[in-house]
Amino acid sequence: MLKIKNIGKNFGGVKAVDDLSFNVDKGEIVGLIGPNGSGKSTTINLICGVFPVDFGNISVNEQNISSLPTHERVASGISRTFQNIRLFKDLSVWQNIWVALQQDSDQSSGWMREWFGNSKLQKEKIKEILVFSGLGDRFDDLAGNLSFGEQRRLELARAIASKPKLILLDEPAAGMNSDEVADLRQRILDLKKLGLTVLLVEHVMELVMNVVDRIVVLNFGKKIAEGSPENIQNNKDVQKAYLGGA
Amino acid sequence: MEYIQISIDGILYGSSYSLIALGFSLVFGVMRRINLAYGSSLLLGVAIALWVENELNISIIFFIPIVLFFCSMSNLYVERFCFAPHNTKAGVVVSMISSFAIWMQLDEISSQLLPDRTHSFPSLQISTFEVGGLFFRGDQILNIFIAFFISAILFLAVYKTKYGIVLRAVANSADTAKLMGCNTKLVNSLTFILAGVLGGIAAFLVLSTESQVTPLFGFWCTVKGLVAMMIGGLGSLTGAFWGGLLLGLLEAHFSYHFGPVFREITTFSILLIVLIIRPGGLMGVNIYKDLKSRDERI
Repeated sequence: MLKIKNIGKNFGGVKAVDDLSFNVDKGEIVGLIGPNGSGKSTTINLICGVFPVDFGNISVNEQNISSLPTHERVASGISRTFQNIRLFKDLSVWQNIWVALQQDSDQSSGWMREWFGNSKLQKEKIKEILVFSGLGDRFDDLAGNLSFGEQRRLELARAIASKPKLILLDEPAAGMNSDEVADLRQRILDLKKLGLTVLLVEHVMELVMNVVDRIVVLNFGKKIAEGSPENIQNNKDVQKAYLGGA
Repeated sequence: MEYIQISIDGILYGSSYSLIALGFSLVFGVMRRINLAYGSSLLLGVAIALWVENELNISIIFFIPIVLFFCSMSNLYVERFCFAPHNTKAGVVVSMISSFAIWMQLDEISSQLLPDRTHSFPSLQISTFEVGGLFFRGDQILNIFIAFFISAILFLAVYKTKYGIVLRAVANSADTAKLMGCNTKLVNSLTFILAGVLGGIAAFLVLSTESQVTPLFGFWCTVKGLVAMMIGGLGSLTGAFWGGLLLGLLEAHFSYHFGPVFREITTFSILLIVLIIRPGGLMGVNIYKDLKSRDERI
């Protein structure tokens, strides 16, 4: 599904990501963890094209996407949420979804229809996505007026709207209490049931350990371990990285 | 009675300011850039259209779409050469300076195409009429209806269509919109074309009532549109619309009471006062807060 091969990114002299390689298989939930500043967010930003890789290759379904512009990467099936909520605050809830809604490939309506046509059919689709995300009753509200938890759910809903194959979650549990984390865990498992592949960047171990199939651990932009949650918990290098031992 | 007459004149003028300000506001909203070459690109569009009209001798029905076409094309030209290459956070100053350079360039081309100081412009021949002691120029009344109608269509497009929603999403945060699959470059180009169409309509309405065009028309458009937008509110379409009308009204009243010299003085005094009291304009966003939130890293 997602193949990352020897990618690297320097900011000034700092190697934010250094010769990193890992794979994510179809239908898998993979956790990407590591101490602060270990390059997790940079990795996600490289995958979805916020900035280009300095070297290396990223491919999705055997298609090399490392040089594609951002919106084409989204069209090829990558979608994401953000560490700091980045909704379109001036738009209503359903309009937020509408922005991300991609045209069905089986419908042969042109861009005129897509941009200026009747929105009735799309509204039904949007409603469906919102109900799935537990926001069915907030359809017409302004996105900026939602509560924190609801905004997180709306971001997830918006990420699903582009019909992705791979979804990148950048610290979705940041600032959540344990009830909300439990709810989020269920939602991530629902994504898996839909057949989506998930790459989860997260600090909240309570979530990571209970939801992922496999974990990749980063430190200073390098992969230091990879394996099942149990293996990772017992890994000496990982413990060292987190506890700060030299 | 005379107050009403002056107010009507002011609104008639203001409606074309509104259209130009809407064009400015679209570009500012989407790109957070001031396009100093906007008026000049309209002048160039008009100049090319007049040249075509002279060569081919066409009727006014076909002349209007030709004006709109060349106005949007010259706007696209501006976008391609001075905004598309500098579409990064660091590009604010560079793009403004290149829009100044393109302003000079376009004015020069226009004055080559229209070498005379004044040049006649096809006008809609509609006579003046009187209702209850108030005088209305027929073409100006037509103008105000067209201006309001076009503004209404624009608002519908921006608030009800997918293109409008994507445009507002890009205005809200271009980085996020890109990551949600929006082709922001395409949106930028289309916005410039749309601004060109709006400006082209405004230019046609103004010039056909004056029935002449001078080389200063570009500068006039830039100044009035910019001031109307700044007064109404940066990045707010409703603000730009009302700002234009307000500017027209105030100009008409001040120039009536203190003499025509005060028309321009009023314009800039109002702008200064508004900028000091509310830097984002009367109905605009808090521009400091807005720019800060756009700079948040992903």
